[in-house]
Amino acid sequence: MNTREKMICPDCGVEMNHHADKIDYSEALEEAGEADPAFGGVVEEAHTCPSCGRTHTRPADYYPKS
Amino acid sequence: MSVERPIFIPVILGTTRKGRASENVARFVYGELLKLAGVETALVDVRAISLPTDDAGEAIKDSDFSASVSRADGLVIVTPEYNHGYPGMLKHLLDTNLKEYVHKAVGVCGVSAGGFGGTRVIENLLPVLRELGLVTIFWDGNFSGAQKLFDHEGKLLDESYVKRIEKFLKELVWMSKVLRYGREHVSLD
Repeated sequence: MNTREKMICPDCGVEMNHHADKIDYSEALEEAGEADPAFGGVVEEAHTCPSCGRTHTRPADYYPKS
Repeated sequence: MSVERPIFIPVILGTTRKGRASENVARFVYGELLKLAGVETALVDVRAISLPTDDAGEAIKDSDFSASVSRADGLVIVTPEYNHGYPGMLKHLLDTNLKEYVHKAVGVCGVSAGGFGGTRVIENLLPVLRELGLVTIFWDGNFSGAQKLFDHEGKLLDESYVKRIEKFLKELVWMSKVLRYGREHVSLD
């Protein structure tokens, strides 16, 4: 269960829907230390706005860095 | 379901080569999409997008292509089969985006000079599309003997392809609508 605050669409101001988590391997290569050790890449949450349909992402915080 | 906004399905023409038979195929599929109510489309030509080749990924994003994919609910990829594989420039372009693809539908039209209609390039492309976050449909467009399928003005000579592409597009539009609903309303949490 994701207990984080809902993303708000920067264009419409409405709550977005979290529908996917996607591993971004390239970002991990570019930013050393950012990769989630469980997945080998940076896990990004994908959220889509039900009003305008735009998708925005944010890093998933499965394992907060120490 | 969001029915107010038309479904947007651009067609990506995936080769830059001279004399490309895939251009006729892409224009044909684009034309068939234009006939569908509630669907908008655009023709995206890999040749028209200038990408550096000394870097890759998001670092070399083309803003127009990203905007197009970002707006898209589904994609048609028209790809020739070169030695059983897909064109490097197509892969180079697809790799420039990631989040823009997540949970969007994609259908592939394979184009070949021989008789297998690009089936081998389609099979090779499917795992790439999956890793990008796209959702593939099971209908394909298979264009065999591509150099002889169209006349010198690009007119389709074999009308059976109209019926085949109708099936292909029907599933793609269905999947695009379903995934749009899912992206906007069905939560992972």
